[in-house]
Amino acid sequence: MIVPARERIFAYAILIAMAVLVLIPVVAGSLTAFKPQIIWISSPPVWFFEPTLENFEFVLITRQNWLHLRNSLIISIGSVLIALVLGVPAAYGFARFRFRGSKGLMQWLISLRMIPPIVVGLPFYAMFLFLERATGLGLRDTHLGLILTYQTFLLPLVIWMMRGYFVELPAAMEESAMVEGYTRIGALWRVVLPVVWPGIVATALLNFIFAWNEFFLALILAGNNTSTLPMAAGTYIVRARVEWGNLFAVNLIIMMPVIVLTIILRRQLVKGLTFGILE
Amino acid sequence: MVKPDASAQPGGQRLSTRVYRLTQRHRHWFFIGPALVILLAVVIYPIVFSTGVSLFRVTFASTSRPFVGLQNFQRMLGNDDFLQSTYNTLFYVVFSVSGSFMLGFGAALLIRRISRGRDILRLVLIIPITMAPIVVGLMWNWMLDPLFGLINWFLGLLGIPGQTLLAQASTARLMVVLVDIWQWYPLVFLIIEAGMATLPRAPYESARLEGVSSWMIFRRITLPMLRPVILVALLLRTVDAFRTFDIVRVMTDGGPALTTETLSLYLYRTAFTFNKLSRAAAGSILMLLVIGLISAMMFRFLYKDIEVG
Repeated sequence: MIVPARERIFAYAILIAMAVLVLIPVVAGSLTAFKPQIIWISSPPVWFFEPTLENFEFVLITRQNWLHLRNSLIISIGSVLIALVLGVPAAYGFARFRFRGSKGLMQWLISLRMIPPIVVGLPFYAMFLFLERATGLGLRDTHLGLILTYQTFLLPLVIWMMRGYFVELPAAMEESAMVEGYTRIGALWRVVLPVVWPGIVATALLNFIFAWNEFFLALILAGNNTSTLPMAAGTYIVRARVEWGNLFAVNLIIMMPVIVLTIILRRQLVKGLTFGILE
Repeated sequence: MVKPDASAQPGGQRLSTRVYRLTQRHRHWFFIGPALVILLAVVIYPIVFSTGVSLFRVTFASTSRPFVGLQNFQRMLGNDDFLQSTYNTLFYVVFSVSGSFMLGFGAALLIRRISRGRDILRLVLIIPITMAPIVVGLMWNWMLDPLFGLINWFLGLLGIPGQTLLAQASTARLMVVLVDIWQWYPLVFLIIEAGMATLPRAPYESARLEGVSSWMIFRRITLPMLRPVILVALLLRTVDAFRTFDIVRVMTDGGPALTTETLSLYLYRTAFTFNKLSRAAAGSILMLLVIGLISAMMFRFLYKDIEVG
């Protein structure tokens, strides 16, 4: 498309302004994480200073946020793995078999994206509590409990994203493998999965971001043993005094993996964020 | 998996053949079944459970649970705080969705007019979507801090005295909406831009040859062809704005004087601060009905345009 110079300059001006508005709070905030305590709250802000890692040391070790980091990792990785184990075969089933109600089921899966977390979070809390009182069986404040709960938003997303990757593959691939004597499972395992592998990785990483950033269900369901990093971030903001340097150290620990993954995933991002509705 | 009842089958074919046929006809359940069972357990069962709880008077403290019928729903609908938080939520939805839509759409139109630096600009613009909403909220708390926030420092340079933007009812509501827009207009941008990239070129070329103005090209070609993409963007933004919790929770926690209390926040408080589990359950079912209605209407429009499933 040939664009007149005037229009192009206008486009650059607006877009750069938008990018600056994104970057200012992110960069300025992140800088605070490297500031020594005396200049956390200096106004006007100090832009040049000797960076220090003492805030990270303080939050991870003194405040023991490494435990939250560990919980976040266990819960995010665990819930993504379970969502993949259940979701990848289901996606394959939806992609390859037409059966009565298959279309309706897929639509139902999209509709799960619309459910507000409070609608499932509330009964989960009560269910875990009543279960524990009745049987002594505890899912409350366990990693497994949260991993199960996270399937409410991860599993439908995995199925939708992976279905998109399976549909793109010709069915002839497995069929010829099955002619050569593979069972369908064998063909899926040996022939199809190696080809959709990049799609599985992208799906896993994107779902990891969602589980990693999750706050609401963790707030309701996590306790001392399972509290995650986003919950730890909230503890640095108490009405009387906010420990900005420490807060931004935790914020940065939450953001780092996500930013790296975003750079890797930028092409698949739309698919995941729109739930594959646009295909 | 389906287990055929062998004894009920009339003779004729060998049993193993019949079993084989049955498993062949239902083999999709082998793949889909496990995921479906888990989804029923983690989504449908909780909603059924919640509906059940809403018909009784259940608290975390007491073990007696008398049946009260629809009383909890009545109480909820007659509760001023519930109505106030519903109003706040609708305010939030209307302004956050329209704001993020206009900015995102504008950015998508603009980025198609440039070539150099497009990838890096796009990457910067999508940073907010990938941040945890709670991190975004905490970050803007710092930006808006009345004593040493960047916003007030900047206002000070312009000669405007320090403002407690999050503590005043008139501005707090606007601030949380602006922060929500800041985080989510890139989502609209990303979706619309992806949609534009798939549009065919031919209609544009012939329109240009015939000297049609850019505005008419936009109205008559771009907008109609983008309809499904626009609907998806609006649908996702609407349901996300409707259930907002994280950003508001850390920025204002519903205050001042409930002016920023969203439905999610109010129901959370009803259950966990005021220990009224049943009433919160009734409220959450009402919320589910409303969001179901809104998304069903948008879906109807959407299905006219694209094939899903």
